[in-house]
Amino acid sequence: MSKKNRRMEKRVEEYIEKLFSHVGESQQLFDLKEELATNMKEKIADYLSQGMDEEQAFKETIASMGDLSGLVEDMRQLGQDQAKQAVYSTMTARISTAGIVAGVLLILFGAFTASMLYFMDLPAVEVTSNGIFIVAGGALLTYSLLTRETAKKYAMNKIRAALFALSVGLLLFSLFTGMITRFATGETYAAIASTMVFFLTGAGLFLYLTLTGTQRRKT
Amino acid sequence: MKTAISTDLIRGHTDAIILNLLRQGDSYGYDLYKKIAMLSDHQYELKEATLYTAFRRLEQEGYIVSYWGDETQGSRRKYYRITDEGKVHYQKRVQDWDVAKEILEKLIKGGLCDE
Repeated sequence: MSKKNRRMEKRVEEYIEKLFSHVGESQQLFDLKEELATNMKEKIADYLSQGMDEEQAFKETIASMGDLSGLVEDMRQLGQDQAKQAVYSTMTARISTAGIVAGVLLILFGAFTASMLYFMDLPAVEVTSNGIFIVAGGALLTYSLLTRETAKKYAMNKIRAALFALSVGLLLFSLFTGMITRFATGETYAAIASTMVFFLTGAGLFLYLTLTGTQRRKT
Repeated sequence: MKTAISTDLIRGHTDAIILNLLRQGDSYGYDLYKKIAMLSDHQYELKEATLYTAFRRLEQEGYIVSYWGDETQGSRRKYYRITDEGKVHYQKRVQDWDVAKEILEKLIKGGLCDE
């Protein structure tokens, strides 16, 4: 009896393996296979205990399953998505890491050269002109941090992250132009005027993005 | 066992049938299959493919949750439990059915000049 059952169990497992043979692996597929196998085995055991012969029991069980093609297709798509997702997330994670490193280096480079020029007693305009590296670095760092998937949050989509980076870039750039104008012209009103244009654009964009955000927190 | 009711007729009600059984207690695939056969006095057999597809859908919609049993012998069973949302959804389906039943009765048997 138990030998007979084991033989039938093996048959069920082979049947299920064959059914999903071209389907990419996923946790859901793994679970579904086990679920199907358990239920089919139990059904066959019931048939056998009613005195049905092995062949008949197996055939009846398969027939009562009905058309499984929809489930197979479901699983196939899941498997594909997961494969794609894995590649996608490791690629974006790498790009984002590179971006963070580059962004931080740019900011440091800007800060170091500026202080170097300052101590070389060069004019203030030339000292502050290196601030452009800080502007670029800040924008790059923003983009990279937002497109990074963390343990608590999903990555932001690329277009949104780029807009955020743009707004941060504009805000930094407005300060940069303000300082440059101030030192070049010696006029504070001119500095405020040139700051204003970029600052308003940047702040507007930043506010808009913060207010329209979608939930990225993982549940 | 023969299916004495057309599949087309019952298709839209699979979810309500499953929720009805699950609200009476947690269950797993083959057990539900047997209960459905029993409840219909063996007039209807729900194909298991339909059952598992419905499980997946109901779980995604949050009407049921699943958990693995701790069978000591043989393979593990995957059990399903109805959620509070599922119970609410079930009540709504019952109301829908009561309405639809009467309208269908009129549409299928009724006549406009039947006085």
